[in-house]
Amino acid sequence: MAKTNKNYLSGKEIREIAKENKKVMKRLEAEKYRKADESEYITQLKNSNNILEIDNLHTYFFTEQGVVKAVNGVSFDVPTNATVGVVGESGCGKSVTSMSVMRLLQGPTGQIYSGEIRFKSKDKNGAEKIYDIAKMPIADIHKIRGNQIAMIFQEPMTSLNPVFTIGQQLDEVTFIHNPEASKEDAKNKSIEMLNLVGIAMPERVYNSFPHELSGGMRQRVMISMALASDPRLIIADEPTTALDVTIQAQILDLLRDLKDKIDGSIMLITHDLGIIAEMADYVVVMYAGKVIEKGTVDEIFHSPMHPYTIGLQKSKPTLNSDSDTLYNIPGNVPNPINMPAHCYFKERCNKCTAKCSGEYPNMIQVSPTHFVACHLYDEEQKNG
Amino acid sequence: MAEEKTTQQFDPEAILEVRNLRKCFPIKKTFTGKVKQELIAVDNVSFKLKAGETLGIVGESGCGKTTLGRTILKLHESNGGQIIFEGKDITNLKSSEMREIRKKMQIIFQDPYSSLPPRSTVGGILSEPVEVHNIVPKSQVKDYVLDLMDKCGLRDYYYERYPHEFSGGQRQRICIARALSVNPKLVICDEPVSALDVSIQAQIINLLKKLQQDMNLTYLFISHDLSVVKFISDKIGVMYLGSMVEFGTKEDIFANPLHPYTEALFSAIPQPDPDIKMNRIILKGDIPSPANPPKGCRFHTRCPKAIAGLCDEVTPEYRDFGNGHCAACHLLNKD
Repeated sequence: MAKTNKNYLSGKEIREIAKENKKVMKRLEAEKYRKADESEYITQLKNSNNILEIDNLHTYFFTEQGVVKAVNGVSFDVPTNATVGVVGESGCGKSVTSMSVMRLLQGPTGQIYSGEIRFKSKDKNGAEKIYDIAKMPIADIHKIRGNQIAMIFQEPMTSLNPVFTIGQQLDEVTFIHNPEASKEDAKNKSIEMLNLVGIAMPERVYNSFPHELSGGMRQRVMISMALASDPRLIIADEPTTALDVTIQAQILDLLRDLKDKIDGSIMLITHDLGIIAEMADYVVVMYAGKVIEKGTVDEIFHSPMHPYTIGLQKSKPTLNSDSDTLYNIPGNVPNPINMPAHCYFKERCNKCTAKCSGEYPNMIQVSPTHFVACHLYDEEQKNG
Repeated sequence: MAEEKTTQQFDPEAILEVRNLRKCFPIKKTFTGKVKQELIAVDNVSFKLKAGETLGIVGESGCGKTTLGRTILKLHESNGGQIIFEGKDITNLKSSEMREIRKKMQIIFQDPYSSLPPRSTVGGILSEPVEVHNIVPKSQVKDYVLDLMDKCGLRDYYYERYPHEFSGGQRQRICIARALSVNPKLVICDEPVSALDVSIQAQIINLLKKLQQDMNLTYLFISHDLSVVKFISDKIGVMYLGSMVEFGTKEDIFANPLHPYTEALFSAIPQPDPDIKMNRIILKGDIPSPANPPKGCRFHTRCPKAIAGLCDEVTPEYRDFGNGHCAACHLLNKD
């Protein structure tokens, strides 16, 4: 029994892992802090209609227990003026994907190991440049982060600084991205932003501290902070998870309105299929660090193909269904260290075939926009 | 007089009856310890629950649903009203007298990560209540616990393991097994699936349903997720700022919601179907602070149908509108 229990490692094993990790982390850290010319990370988009293309991204965490492949070969695109929903259970790598795009991973443990994140950036003069975010040195990331890509975090309670007023925190955004701005300009901009997100008394909120506001208000402030620099892409990482349903409805309504107002794209990360169905144009379903299915919202909800997507939809109780027992996916998400070579969903899948013990299935295209990674559909690809 | 009244009106069918229950927390005290300001967490809540039924309590955070559950279990002392369990008024029992009753009422907490002792094995966690309450003779405790673990979907070799070795779903199964180890009649489930993933949530809900049938349990199921509550409950109570605004059978409440808050709550839930475009009622503003609740109907500050001069002045009466479907709203009294 002791052998099967992988929770414990011997001292020798731990030292070996640490030695191995140190080597890789040192190399990646050096790359991150190097000085580089812009030409090194300028690249081309595959489809000029996209604003963001994530291509075969690998983000690893080098922990004492071994390498956690949190994001293991993720590829998807965010088209201009669209909302892309990323859905999956906890630990499937959806937040780590967004952190990789923002380059906010906690170093030296968390590192982008390989892959490309291509982003279409537009400077003040309107000139477009395509940057590979994964290869950018950390010193140059300010060109994009918080400026062209903004992020709304999950917990509005902990993401605001408790010792500064809302006004000071909002003005800071303007000062960082536009150092010439005067105090008056910054304040006007901040109040305009607070108005935009539907805060009733912006002057009063401008002078209050985060603890004086309710959860919904704080999330509105977070959204206004993200908007302060006119971003082209907003990454919303579970923006409503910590909020009540009636407040959640307000915030979702606000996000939908804003997308039209700011003329940008939204990458919405959530575990709630209901929110995805309501908000997204395209859906990416992730499981254990890999994309297992992606397509338009109609394709994913009306003709889901991967057994996990089907199971996930059946296991959520809805207000319209009247069945007696819920469908449930047996078992748990596998341990992220030492993943098997075969399909990660094999142990929990009810449509498993002999082929599933083989190598990990490739992404199969079933329609121009619908992709699925499952051996069940291998045949279709050959025929088609 | 009061004694006579209470003994007369016990409903023999109801396993749990709550009458005008009230719970206040002091938030400001004077130097001498006199309470200056109170937060009314549960205000005038009444309902009846029959054996074998599930009552779902829904509401937003801060509406007092957890406090209600804890006050029924007498983990908090109530400040008024009555709790009648199996025909016995337990409101003012001493803690030594409560011991016998605690065997019959158990609770499953929300967070399976913080509600298990980290230094005991699963076997230890599950055998302790059995030994304390003398459920089975000492020699049979281990067999009893293993049988219970099997019922809750835990493998027998987990007996020697510690809580940190388990995932959230497995830990919640341990919590359920612990609550059921003393053969309770009533189980209060305080958001048992909120901390879990969707696929694991479905496993736990199915387990709770199966155990209810096997062991003839009565559940008081507290949750903020209406779709889960609809799935598991027979009756539903909707709470807002400490008071029950609507109560009735699941069919009545979903087919014909009476209170505007219930309507808004139902329409706020995102449906996992892109074709459904609902006419969403979006409530303005936030929940008022329970320390300083609005005058009159507590919902009037956010209510889209509020009548000026009435709703902000007079507290609406909580009335029965037939078939046990109760609600408190002025709009209903007009017709």
